Amino acid sequence: MPRRFRGISGNRVLLLAWIAAAVALLSFSGQISRKDWQLASRDAARRPIGSPQLVAIEPLPALPSMDGEMCQWMPASTTTTLAALLQEAPVHRSADWDTQPPGNADRAPTRIIRDTYPTYSAVALNLQTNEVFLQDENLFGIKVFDRLDNTPPTAAFTEPKRAIAGGGVTKLEFNCGIYVDPRNGDIYSITNDTIDTMTVFPWNASGEIKPQRELYTPHGTFGISVDEDAQEIYLTVQHDNAVVVYPKTASGDDKPIRELTGDRTQLEDPHGVAVDYKNQLMFVSNHGHGINEAGGHGKFEPASITVYPLRAAGDTAPLRIIEGPRTRLNWPAALWVDQERGEFYVANDGDDSVLVFKITDNGDVAPARMIRGPKTHVVNPTGVFLDSKNDELWVSNMGNHSATVFARTADGDVAPKRVIRSAPAGKKALAIGNPGAVAYDSRRDEIMVPN
Amino acid sequence: MAHAQIAFFARLAKENTQPNRLLAGQRTLMSRTMHDIRYDAVHDEFVVNNPFAYAVLVFRGGANGEEAPIRTIQGPKTMLGGSSRLELDPVNNEILVPEGGRVLVFDRTATGDVAPKRILNNTGQGGGIAVDPVHDLLILGSGGTNQRPGAIQMFTRTASGDTPPLRVIRGPRSGIVRALQMQVHPPSGFIAVTQPGESGTFDPGGTYVGFWHITDNGDVPPRYKLAGPKSTLIKPRGVALIPQHKDVLVADMSLNSVLVYYFPEIF
Repeated sequence: MPRRFRGISGNRVLLLAWIAAAVALLSFSGQISRKDWQLASRDAARRPIGSPQLVAIEPLPALPSMDGEMCQWMPASTTTTLAALLQEAPVHRSADWDTQPPGNADRAPTRIIRDTYPTYSAVALNLQTNEVFLQDENLFGIKVFDRLDNTPPTAAFTEPKRAIAGGGVTKLEFNCGIYVDPRNGDIYSITNDTIDTMTVFPWNASGEIKPQRELYTPHGTFGISVDEDAQEIYLTVQHDNAVVVYPKTASGDDKPIRELTGDRTQLEDPHGVAVDYKNQLMFVSNHGHGINEAGGHGKFEPASITVYPLRAAGDTAPLRIIEGPRTRLNWPAALWVDQERGEFYVANDGDDSVLVFKITDNGDVAPARMIRGPKTHVVNPTGVFLDSKNDELWVSNMGNHSATVFARTADGDVAPKRVIRSAPAGKKALAIGNPGAVAYDSRRDEIMVPN
Repeated sequence: MAHAQIAFFARLAKENTQPNRLLAGQRTLMSRTMHDIRYDAVHDEFVVNNPFAYAVLVFRGGANGEEAPIRTIQGPKTMLGGSSRLELDPVNNEILVPEGGRVLVFDRTATGDVAPKRILNNTGQGGGIAVDPVHDLLILGSGGTNQRPGAIQMFTRTASGDTPPLRVIRGPRSGIVRALQMQVHPPSGFIAVTQPGESGTFDPGGTYVGFWHITDNGDVPPRYKLAGPKSTLIKPRGVALIPQHKDVLVADMSLNSVLVYYFPEIF
């Protein structure tokens, strides 16, 4: 026996011979190419290396056409378990829709995009009780804090001392304007979009309480200001490009005693309103989305502050207009007049700033002061309130769940004196508000949510 | 709503997830009350209304920050009023705006003060709109009250003038009070429609997202009805579909939320 076959049994010799014959047959049959043969030889020579190796690629058979009967892929993030799925009633699939009830498709969402923290659209103070009232336009309702509350930087949030709940009983939904009566502490709240009702609560209201008074307002009120001398309430109406004035005690279906509206007013998507009863002036902030009433068409104008005689009514032109690039006006929202200093404050939503103008300003004029910058923590401010007793300016920030307090004459990129924060530091608000639509951007795999 | 914006979230975003980008500010020419938004994947653009300025705004798909629209439709020739709803048909290159009982149809690339290329009358008002380019349908919702409920009407896509609808879904069995944002899925023929009930009340009850078929007609209930305690929906007003993931997105105004439902039945 040749040396190389030493130690190999006869059966093994036969097996090797059979394999050799098979390989020869395949090699010369023309069924396997030289390249495939080389690849097979290389694979056969592969040795364990302690990690996965590519051995072969085999295409999957073509899928049959989708007929809706195959199992559906369940995303890994779903909260629905297999057990829960099996327990659910089958959805209605009958084609006989006229005789069958609609398919019960109630199911839990797999995900919810929402902000779980309050978002503050407006601010007012009761200086008799030293309390701060913040309009929560995200979770709805009014949160009440002590005036001197100051959320430490490391704290997650400051708990309100009490809250007026949102909902059907209080009629607080998209509540965007607030006024606290300096004499008796009554809390006035207006809604921006849905309920069309001004509600009035007692100074110590709490929980799910029915308003002590309601006034049915035009649709789309935003700003509120009160002439305490004349006992009149001023409201802006976005949808009508108007300012409506009611007696302070108005209720139910009472109608406005005055209305300022028309092409000459240059009211263009009005937001904030502030009355200066010392100088008998009315200030209104406008986003610049205008309607040519005579022509029945729309127009875009710059943002502006329009100034009127306090008792202006009908289609009255403004006395002055503050407007232009030097003003920095960018979606100006709430206003507050400092009658003692002859200035007014603008919550400048689109520019993350609070602007201060003189009440005599006119045209394309730069603000006298501006609170703006990263130290201020002012983000999308929509509410301002001047506490002239304590020389403090309050700002409600839609963009970061907070109210910030500044010195009355603060200027520049200055840190607030105090902050009331209702979410962890640095957490920006999602600011989803009254979402009436949604879309999907398939290129970027993004969900689009307009307010 | 005190602050206007369009927020763009990752598809898998959930509670307190920050948006990838935000569009807001004076230069955007946006206002609140954007009750419709449509993304055009073919041309990478999206479109919204500004109902306070009687305008349609078209942005580039990746618009971010305080970015201006790339086109606006506005002016006396447009006949636009305060509509807050619209549809974009990228197949036939049209923007459609329901406006005061009519539908105004513009070229997709229209800009400035341009007249509509087509007008359909007698459509009802205050409701959503969708186009099915495969079955050549124009689907319109209308707003209403509990006493005078709205409807869903289906027209030939290119209908104009006083052309009557092909089909109308209306009546107590339909449960429609207001048919607002809607989207059609042409391969299956399902129309997703939000029904937020009568406006002006905090919890109107009877609200749902309904799924009808494009062949439905008369007083018929939706074939599927997304509502009930598990859904947590209160006032659904916006709906969009993600066919590749079999997801239905619902914007609920009372919850200030977008809810994502896995809904394979309609795809």
